[in-house]
Parts: sequence; C-alpha cells; structure tokens
Amino acid sequence: MTAFLEAMRLVAAPDVLIAIMASAVYGLVVGSLPGLSATMATALLVPVTFYLSPIAAVATIITASAMAIFSGDIPGALMRIPGTPASAAYTDEAYAMTRKGQAELALGAGLWFSAIGGIVGTLSLVLMAPALAEMALSFSTFEYFWLAFLGLMCATLVARSSPIKAIAAMLLGLLFACIGIENPGGVPRFTLGITDLLGGIEPIPALVGVFAVSEVMRAMTTPEPPPLPRRRFGSILAGQWALTKKYQWPMWRGNIVGIIIGVLPGAGADMAAWVSYATAKRFSKEPEKFGTGHPEGLVEAGASNNASLASGWVPSLLFGIPGDTITAIAIGVLYMKGLNPGPTLFTERASSMYALYIIFVLANIIMIPLGIVMIRAASLVLRAPRSAVMPVIVLLCAVGAFATGNNLFSVLLVGLFGIVGFVMERNGYPVAALVLGIVMGTMVEQNFVTSLIKSDGDVLPFFERPVSSVLAAMTIAALLWPAAVWAIRRLRPAEAAR
Amino acid sequence: MHLSDRITGGFLVLLGALAFWGGSRLPAVPGQDVGPAVFPMVVGGGLALCGALIVLGIGHSFEDEETEPVEAHEGLARWLGAWRALAAFVPPALLLFYVLASEALGFLPTAFVMVAVAALSLGASPRLALAMAVAAPPVVHLVFYKLLRVPLPAGILPAPW
Repeated sequence: MTAFLEAMRLVAAPDVLIAIMASAVYGLVVGSLPGLSATMATALLVPVTFYLSPIAAVATIITASAMAIFSGDIPGALMRIPGTPASAAYTDEAYAMTRKGQAELALGAGLWFSAIGGIVGTLSLVLMAPALAEMALSFSTFEYFWLAFLGLMCATLVARSSPIKAIAAMLLGLLFACIGIENPGGVPRFTLGITDLLGGIEPIPALVGVFAVSEVMRAMTTPEPPPLPRRRFGSILAGQWALTKKYQWPMWRGNIVGIIIGVLPGAGADMAAWVSYATAKRFSKEPEKFGTGHPEGLVEAGASNNASLASGWVPSLLFGIPGDTITAIAIGVLYMKGLNPGPTLFTERASSMYALYIIFVLANIIMIPLGIVMIRAASLVLRAPRSAVMPVIVLLCAVGAFATGNNLFSVLLVGLFGIVGFVMERNGYPVAALVLGIVMGTMVEQNFVTSLIKSDGDVLPFFERPVSSVLAAMTIAALLWPAAVWAIRRLRPAEAAR
Repeated sequence: MHLSDRITGGFLVLLGALAFWGGSRLPAVPGQDVGPAVFPMVVGGGLALCGALIVLGIGHSFEDEETEPVEAHEGLARWLGAWRALAAFVPPALLLFYVLASEALGFLPTAFVMVAVAALSLGASPRLALAMAVAAPPVVHLVFYKLLRVPLPAGILPAPW
C-alpha cells in the first residue's frame, strides 16, 4: 500500500503530468498523419526522454504510443489511409462506414474500444507480471536464450510476408548487432577499422533510420494523398454504449487475443489487429456484412490493438525482451533511466511499477476527451501538406540522432539505415524483424554463448530443463509453422481457392 | 528500388558467406572452445541459407501480389522524369549534408538548407518552402538547445539565445 501511495506521488509530480499531456497531443497528431507510425513517433521521442526524470520518460513513451495507435484510425476512417500499420486491418471497414454516413460511429468506436482495450490490457499487465516475475527468477541462460529466440521467431511469423525473407531480415539484424567489441571475446568484430563502430550499432539511430527516414524517402516517390474534405461531426460517443452491449463478446475476445499477442515476445499491435479482425469475421453471426461498413470487426480489432500495447510490456519489463517495436524502444529508455528490466524490478522498484500502471490507466482515460478534440480537429491537422511536415521530420531525425550521443556518426547511421529500410521494404523484407534483431542481438548472443560454455559445446542441455524444453518446442513450432501452412494449402487447394 | 529476388537473395548469400568467413577468422578466447566467432558464423550461415532459398523462390507464395506504388509526379520526382526513383535518396543525402556541414556552417544555416531542399523536392511552392525553412529551424533549435541542452553547433550564425 505504501508503494502504491508512493507511486501516486510519483505520477502526480508536475513534470510527469506535463510530460503526459504534451506527449498525448504529440502522439495524437503524429499518429493521425498518414505515413508517420506510432513506432516512429516513439523513436523520435527518445532523445527528449534523455533529459526527463525516469517516470516522466516512461510516461511520455506509454502515452504517446497509446495515443498514436488510436489516432491512426482517424485517417483510416476518413481517407482510407491508415495512419499507423496497426489500423490497416480495419481501414476498409471504417471507410465503408464513413461512406454510409457513419463517420462518427466508426471514429467513436475506434476511440471507445481503444480506451477499453488499453485499460483491460493494463489490468492483464498488473495481474500477470508479478506472477511471471516469480517464475522468471528461476530462469537460467538456457531459458533466456529460448525466450529471446522465440521472440525473434514470432517477429518473423507476424510479418505477413515471405517467412524466409522475414527470417533473413531478422538474421541481418543479428549480424548488425555483432558489430563492435561487446562480444564474448572482447575483440573488435566487423568494425572495418572504423573507430566509431567499436561501440557497436546503437538501436536508436537504426530505429529512427528504418522507421522515419525511410518513410520520408517513400514520400519522395509517391504522390501526395488527397486532402481531407471538411466535415462537421455529430456526437462522437453517441451509440458507443449500444455497441458495447451488442458486441460484448467480440470486445472481450479482442481484448484477450490482443493481450495474448502482446505478451508473445516480438508480436505487437499490427498483428493483434489483423488476427482480431479475422476472428471477428470468423465467429460473427453475420459475416457477410463485413467489408460493407459493419462495426463488429472494428470493435474487436480496435480493442485488440490497444490491449496488446499494454501487455507487450510484460516480456519487456520481465526479461528485457521486447513485445513489439515500440517496447523495443522503451527497453532502451528503461536501461538508460536505471530501471533495468528483470524480475527484480517488481520487488525492488515496486513503486515505479505501480506508477507505470497508473500512467497506463491515466493515458487511456484522457484518451477519450483528447481523442474527441483530435477527431474534431482532424480536418485541420490532416490538411497540413506533406511537403511541410516531412522536411521537419528529416530535421528531427538529424537532431534526434545527434542528441543520443552528441556525435555526428549517429546521424550518418540514421541516413544509412534509412536506405537499408527503404530498400528492404520495397523488396518485401519486413523491417520490424530487422529492428528486433538489432535490439536483441547482444542478448541472444550472450545467452547462447554462455549456455554453450556451460554445456561444453553440447546442444542437448538446451532441451533438458523443463521450461526451456517447452520454450524450445514453441520456438521450433514457430519455425515450422510456415511450412505447415504451405503443406495444408497444397493438400487442400479447393478450400484455398474459395 | 525494386530488385528481383535473385539480386537480393544473392546479396544475402554473399553477405552471409562473408560474415561466416570473417567470423571464423576472429581470435578465440584462450582455453575456451566457444568464443566471439560462434555467433557470427551461425548467423552468417543462416543468412546464406535464407539467401539461397530466396534465390530459388521458396516462400514467394506467402507474399502479397506485387503492387507497384503509384509514382509521384510532383516536385523533384517530376523534374527527374524517368530517374524519379532517385528522388528517394534526397533524405539520406540531406543527413549526409548535415554531417559534413553542421560543424562549419552551424545548426541554423544547415537546417535552413535541409528543410528548404526537402520541401522543394516534395513539391512545395517556393513560398511555403521558404516559410518552413525560416520558421522550423529556430523552433527545433530552441527546444533541443535550450530545453534539452543538446550542444548544437553555432557556426557562422549563432542563435540569439
């Protein structure tokens, strides 16, 4: 109880409250602009968090990402352009509702069920994390290796692209992580004689390059989206209660599926939205209405992507293994702020953890009023021409990268990773897998090599401990899953054609 | 920048093989079988294998059918005509410009050039580009230099604050 009161005091500090408000507005605006994703919003925030107190820093990331995931629904519903990839699953549905004259209902559902999903996701985090922390205390390097590997495999599964290309992207990320002297032998590895590379490749320049610069590069070669027609909105929340009662089941299913996908290391909000939209259609009483402006899928997927956002913090806080690309960034910030992820975080820094939960709930509550303001202001914000927004992003990339270490080499890295991300994306290699590879490389290698040393180079002990054998089985299943899908498709061509 | 699977896969085979070879030449830790060489070799081997599978077109059926994005016909892309794909490289070029010029020129002039060039390349009217280039850098400078205390270079045009 004292820890809880202490947490309240931490959150009520003026700098934390200001940080929450400012990052809420920032997240809403960036998320609503097409092409600027929630991950990019978070990546560009990191240099700012360096200069904040630990709780304020974590608060900005939580708030901005939650807001951006919701606000990605706005251009999706109004212009049929998803603001963030997490909204892509139901963009067509929301736009169909707008065409039927139900823009308020579609946007309101996005807002209302995002907030509910976020709060339910937070509850799952509160309930699950301490129980898992207990278990995690007994984990050895074998379990950590499998857990990290499982995270990497999940990241390749969710990529909705060729699984081989996804695995290649992940391995490329691991290879980038090999650069530097932070390895078991402490020898310079793949540094090509460049002094700046001795310290290795920092995840932040890579993230900013892959998610922000490559997006500006894409903007250079694609036409500007059409301007949003001005419109007046009726009441946003009217009818949401009726929807909640009518689609109670889909809502809960969305919450739960979102939580499960979030907890899986490596799979995040995008995946949660796609899976939940599909399950909504599969279990609906009226699946023929899907795609014609039917709110059911919106309810389920909207709840799901925000629920996954909160539960994605479970593996991040417990094991330092990111649940998705946003928490991959958050982990870096946690380390920087002395809140090193690990099971002991829940025993030794309990008040900080409670503060984190409170921030999550707070962010999802203020999402409703701020979201309504944002929806009403959308026609104003979305009229900002791309040629005015993107140049500022380029400038922020440069300054943000410079600020991470006050050296110009990071700026160069940002540019290079922009090219890498752009080329990969254009050729069907998922960049999220690359990023997770870079972020988790050192950890995977450390646990892999330590385990190998412990077992004298023998592979068998990797499968001997009970938890590690379960994790190994899950990882191998994830690896073989695409092959199974392919075989099933082959065996039942008639069903696939339907 | 659309390349065929043969080219990207082939590149990955080459990169994986290089990593494997480079990894195998790393000095071992004395008295240990397992050292810094193992991980790059495993990753490099895997990468080469994946590259080979991609060259052979395995896994292609999982990809969405090719959707060539609509090409831009505004700003630099229009001016470049058939070479319009090159417009994509403006942002990294601007970052390179920042690396080379910011120390000597200072933050404000460098940022002015970056914003102006990027806006014009995206098809902004000269008036909008000029307005953005004049307005944005001081705001960014104020936030990062004053609030966040990032030592941005002053160069030839120090900010008044």
